[in-house]
Amino acid sequence: MTLLTIDSLTKQFKGLRAIEEVSFTVEPQSITSIVGPNGAGKSTLFNMISGYLKPTAGKILFDGRDITGSAPYRVCRQGIARAFQISKPFPELSVRENVLVAASFGRLGVRDPMATTTQAIDICHLTPWANQPAGSLSIGNLRRLELARAIAARPILLLADEPCAGLNEKETRELTDVLSKIREAEVTVLLVEHDIKAVRRVSDRVIVIEAGRKIADGAAADVFADQTVIDAYLGTTAS
Amino acid sequence: MRGFHKPVPATVWALAALLLAGAVVLPFVASPFHLRLAQQILLFGGLAVAWNLLGGFTTYWSFGHAAFFGLGAFAAGLLGQQLGAEFSVAARLIIGLAFAVAISLVAAVAVALPVLRLRGIYFAIAMLAFAQILGEVSKTFDLFQGAMGFPLPLLKFPGLEKVQLFYFLFLLFCLVSVAVFVLVKRSRLGVGLTCIGQDEDTAAMLGVPTERYKLVAFVLSAMLTAAGGVLYVYGLGFMTSETVFRIDISLNLILFSMVGGIGTVAGPLIGATIMILLTQVVLGDLLDLHMMLTGAVLIAMVILAPKGLLGLFRRAWSRRRLAETVEATP
Repeated sequence: MTLLTIDSLTKQFKGLRAIEEVSFTVEPQSITSIVGPNGAGKSTLFNMISGYLKPTAGKILFDGRDITGSAPYRVCRQGIARAFQISKPFPELSVRENVLVAASFGRLGVRDPMATTTQAIDICHLTPWANQPAGSLSIGNLRRLELARAIAARPILLLADEPCAGLNEKETRELTDVLSKIREAEVTVLLVEHDIKAVRRVSDRVIVIEAGRKIADGAAADVFADQTVIDAYLGTTAS
Repeated sequence: MRGFHKPVPATVWALAALLLAGAVVLPFVASPFHLRLAQQILLFGGLAVAWNLLGGFTTYWSFGHAAFFGLGAFAAGLLGQQLGAEFSVAARLIIGLAFAVAISLVAAVAVALPVLRLRGIYFAIAMLAFAQILGEVSKTFDLFQGAMGFPLPLLKFPGLEKVQLFYFLFLLFCLVSVAVFVLVKRSRLGVGLTCIGQDEDTAAMLGVPTERYKLVAFVLSAMLTAAGGVLYVYGLGFMTSETVFRIDISLNLILFSMVGGIGTVAGPLIGATIMILLTQVVLGDLLDLHMMLTGAVLIAMVILAPKGLLGLFRRAWSRRRLAETVEATP
């Protein structure tokens, strides 16, 4: 059974059609990556799934339920968490409290906030900074805090928006390791990412979007060998 | 809430008990002049604590809480006129309080639905306008008798002077405000509101029901403010639009919170004490200087101590502790 179904989703901003009739599905316990040039509509797509934007047309089904146009907190309660591209911590709360908020709210159901928090901080290698105010963290740590908070919300589906942007190779590797660990914990991941190396390493499936339309969808090796994708996004150097 | 709040330390309990004991003894030893000052500190301190229920946690700063203060006063006053002679003054006051709280609940929900969608300064201005509109309405329509005003019956209690009696009512009001605030702050609601104050979008993304939490805080704050308005006009014995729909009341609640420390329970009380003593005792003979001084204090606080005196104190305390740890490390 598919976990997430995006059915001919369209978003119109005044004169601009940011997303046009995009459809795809996400299978449970997989890592699916969405790639595409800047302005292709990836963030708009995420904003619609997480409830920040209402689609102009189309449907979003999650776990068999229609969540099209639900408020963000409801989407989160159903089991979709999101890690922002630009980290948005609660700056005056400590790292631990930031994660604890997600663990205390987040998805509905049985909770053990303290244990979830400790575990999420541990998975994301944040233990040494746990008691520092989140506002004092470095970029790499902030990025991992963003992930720690998202997984502490106990999601079924994690939306990760460019978690590797601005990180060096070592940090990127650490982060993709975290993503793999998250999948081992039976969380499905939908990833938006520019780092093609990272995408190749972790993805079960890759979807390419360009100018609001889906132009390719399949296994990473096939998609990156596709001539349309090379022309539209990768350029000739990637082959 | 677990993980966010430690149990209240014994020293704080002891201090609170001591203050309360002092507050109970005060009306039997202080002069009527000092007692009136204490009345104001308790009433407006309690109102500032109530204002903090929304404004202390989040950036939703209401610049028009006088709206609920006046609404409550008018609701109770006008209903009192309709009650027959068989109702005692105490019964009128209690029924009036219940009615004022109920009316302000309805009004707060009705106002919040459009207004709480506005953020920051837009919310502040919308609330300011709301208070002005209510003030004008109460003056313009004869039904409300706001332009001429009307008297309220004199409440009596055997063995207590009027000034003592209202002192105790204001004390009770202040205690209720403090209790509500502390309970909210230490609950899930308080944690959610704190997150909304830090980053509303992120809070929603993590599953905090932001719209509902803001609404609950706003409504609780409005209900307490309305109750304060009722007690205030019963204490005066006479009311007009000008006595309750006063912008300086709205602004003072913010000022007291900022001086003492926004988002804390002690802050607004400390702020109210300092500002009321400063303007009424130190500058008692220089009425013209009140507003100027109030403005100067506000500017100074915003620049030098945005988290109020409590924030200043806390920062100094953590610096000292840090210095001690550094010295202790070999």
